[in-house]
Formats: sequence, C-alpha cells, structure tokens
Amino acid sequence: MTEIANPYGKVALYPGCALDGLGKSYDVSLQLVARDLGINYEKIEDYNCCGALEVKNVNTMTGLLLPARNLSLARQMGANAVMSACPGCHYSLSRTQYFMTRYPKLREKVNSYLEKMGEKQYDMQLLMIHAVEFIYNTVGPEGVKARVKRPLQGLKVAPYYGCLYSRPKAYTLTGYMKMKDDPERPVFMDELLRALGAEVVPFESKTMCCGGPHVYSDVTTSLHLEARILKDAKRNGAELLITDCPLGHVAIETNMNKIAEKYGEDLRMPLVYFTQLLAFAFGHSPDEALLTANLSNPMSVLKRYL
Amino acid sequence: MPIPNLEKPIIKGLIQKDKVIVDGVELDGTWNAFMIERTQTGYDQSVWDEIANTVEGATISLCWQCGTCTSGCTMREYDPNYSPRRFIDLARKGDKQSLIELQDSIWRCVSCQKCTHRCPKGVLVEEVVHSIHNYLLKHGLVKTDPGTIFDELFLDTVMKNGGRISELLLGGASAKAGFVTMSLRDLLTMMGPLLKSGLIKDLMKPSRVKEWDRIKPVLEEAMKEEVTPE
Repeated sequence: MTEIANPYGKVALYPGCALDGLGKSYDVSLQLVARDLGINYEKIEDYNCCGALEVKNVNTMTGLLLPARNLSLARQMGANAVMSACPGCHYSLSRTQYFMTRYPKLREKVNSYLEKMGEKQYDMQLLMIHAVEFIYNTVGPEGVKARVKRPLQGLKVAPYYGCLYSRPKAYTLTGYMKMKDDPERPVFMDELLRALGAEVVPFESKTMCCGGPHVYSDVTTSLHLEARILKDAKRNGAELLITDCPLGHVAIETNMNKIAEKYGEDLRMPLVYFTQLLAFAFGHSPDEALLTANLSNPMSVLKRYL
Repeated sequence: MPIPNLEKPIIKGLIQKDKVIVDGVELDGTWNAFMIERTQTGYDQSVWDEIANTVEGATISLCWQCGTCTSGCTMREYDPNYSPRRFIDLARKGDKQSLIELQDSIWRCVSCQKCTHRCPKGVLVEEVVHSIHNYLLKHGLVKTDPGTIFDELFLDTVMKNGGRISELLLGGASAKAGFVTMSLRDLLTMMGPLLKSGLIKDLMKPSRVKEWDRIKPVLEEAMKEEVTPE
C-alpha cells in the first residue's frame, strides 16, 4: 500500500472517558476505519479525565492540570499531535494549551505540578486535532471513496458536529489554520459522508448545543435543545443523525424516550457515529462496527444496504 | 401607567393613589403616578478588580458592550433574563444587588461557546460569565445551584474513582444527588443493545489511572493554589 501523506507527524489518540464507556462503539469503529484507510495513531494508555466542562468551573488549577497531564503523556510518547474523538476532550486540551501559552507564570506552575506527579514538563509542542479533521486531512474524501464497498446511495443523513468541534476559535484554531474546518459552518464531515454516496441534507442545527453540561441539572432546557436538533434533521428529510460527539450522542440517545413523550413520537431518529457509518460502508458487518450497540437502533434504516 | 421597556430596569416601583389633589386640582390618569425613589447604593468597585484578577475573568476589561454574545446566546431563547453582556456590565459597575437578583439565570450557561467564539474584542465570554458566577458563590452571595452541584459532583467522582469517569458512576452519583435521570423505560431501552453487543462488560470494568495514588495528592495540593493571570 502506498504511504498516506500525513501532515500531522506522529498522532496520539486521547480516548477520554467517553470512548471507554458508552462511546465504545466510536472507539472500535475509529480503529476499523483507521486500519482500512492505512492511517496510524497510537493510543495514550494511562490517560486521565480531561475535566470536561465541569471541573474548570470548580477549580481553575485542577481544570488545567488534568488536561496538561495528558498532553505531557502524549509528548512522552513522541507525538506531534493529539487527536480527540470527543469534542469535549478536544476543547479541554485546547483550552489548556491556550491558557498555558497566554500566561507564562501559570505555565511554570502547571509544569512544576506535573513534575511532582512524576511526569515530564509539557513543552507546548502539540497540535490538537479532532478525529474528523484527522481523516479529512490525511486520506480526504477521495481516499474514503476509494475504500467504499457498500455505497450508501440514497441514504439521507444529517451531520451533527456539536458545539465544541469548531468553537471557540481561540482554542480550537478553526479559521486560523489551513487544516482546520470553517469556524461557523463546518463541512469536513459532510464531505466524508458524501464520499460514501450518502446524501447530506441541509442542516441548520449542525453546531447547535445539546444542553451538554446541564443534561442532568437543567433537564427542561436540554430536552428542548435536543428536540430542536432532531426537529431540524427531520424537517430536512434526514433518516440518520450522524454524530462526532459522544456527549451529544449519549445525551440524545438516552433522552430519546423523554423527547418523544414531550415533543412527539415522530421525532425518534437513529443516531450513528460517523466512524460507524464509514466502517459500515467499508464493508464491515453491523456487529463489527458495533452498530447493534446503539440504543436508537440504526440498523432499522441501514439494513437495506446489507 | 405603561412604562417603556427601556426604563424598566431603573424603575423599582410606582405609587398610585385613588385620589390626589394638588393646589385644589384633582390629578388623574398618568399624572396620578409617582416613581418610588431609588438610590443605587452598594456599587462595589472591587468586584471588577477581583474578577479581572482570575485566569477565566481576565478578559472582562476588553468588553465594549456590543451585545454580540447575547444576540447569539443559546440560553437567551429559554430565559429572557439571560444576557452575558448585562452580566459583564453589572459586574464591572459592581452592582452586586442586580447580579444577586439574576442568580436563577446566571448559572444556566450551557457552555456552547458561541459567545467566546464570536466576540469581536476577544473576550472569553463563557469563561468570564463563569468567573462572575464563581465570585458570587465564593462570597456567599447566592445559593448553590444545580449546575454547581453537578460540577462538584463530577470532580468528586473523578477524584474518588482513579482519575476517570464513567457513565455508570456519574449516573449513580447524580441519581443519589437527586437529579432525575432515568425512568424504567429508559433503562430497559438501554439494557437491550448493551447486553446484545456485550458492551455492558466494558462498562462494568473498573478503569483507573495506574499511579493514581501518587497523582491524587498533587492534585489536592494544586486545588489550594491561588492562580492569577500572569
């Protein structure tokens, strides 16, 4: 196989807690897709929680130190870029990089704590990337197209990126770098899905919030926000909601019954991680891509392509 | 008497009498209404200084009150009182009283980052709003809200469970704290696919950072550290 041009250098995957929990299907399918496409990454094994959107509100130093340890681990593996599959993790890691760059004294403090933990100082030499960007900028839509064994002709999909994939630009650098997506209307996932033969419907809620950190603590608002995402997808005729965010995915899937009760049964829609759909189109069985593990039963739509 | 919307924030109340006679002439209609005098006291300049001296709140001084943050805000649609622009304005004035009156709104930020993303002046609005909220919490001016309870619960779960978190642990902890999470129907919907795919085994497997015992005390020490934006 020809060598794939990889602009990132050595890439380390920060799995985050989501990918070891309910997001396992995301992790497994990402591995399948990367192997099929011939792109390599190494997993950070002894990672810790990145603090998500919660820890930073409680304690400033812990909110920076938790992600910083992961960055230091990635550097110890010799990585040049850290890939996160979860936009929440992508955000936390990027945020730490931003604050450590902006405030030198703060950086020294964080580094001295890292040394106390027995880790190396973090030298600020990493680029944070998301799994969508990684696939898009290495093999790209053409590379994906070449691998498709089960073209998904006629499948109508709505790509849901979530808030933190492209926002805020100060942290994620969208719009500042060539290899980053559009800051307001991201398109990378759209193009990857089109390469599978699927039809990407216009979707206003691409980067709308799902209630994220307040899924438990402000239920009415998050149900409303999630219902709006599903409504927009339905109105545009989508059969599947394709996600790249385990937080949004799990939140919408587990709240599906409540949303249907409150906003109408017709809002029910299966959710699939984009890597699962890629793996399915590359010829993997639903069991291999863990499509059977999704709570919203995507096989009800995808079975016509088997 | 109709009061223009713009005036509402400064008018605290009206006195209206059934019969008012001034110099032998009876006043009626709108002439019959008097505003309750309101002298704003308790502006506290130290609020701005203290927030500007936190890592999250350091950019508060850059704001020029254009309102881009509020116009795109996710929460604004559900809570008309939710306005990052106004929170920043009040915090800089030092109008603690008005901020306290807004306490049922201010915690509801869903961290969607639209405000920070779009701010033309580079204010990290989402961070600043949290910093203002933290100021109010730190000085005991507001009651603890569900958002903060959940945030603390999250950190607590991470610290107790070896530096990682799982949906099961977090769900269990939030159910204990009284957040309604799952009905029996939700659980049944969940269990089917989880059992069928064997994912349940991965969920039950404890996942911990290897040398957590060495890392945890350092984190606990770091929590006490006061950080300034330099």
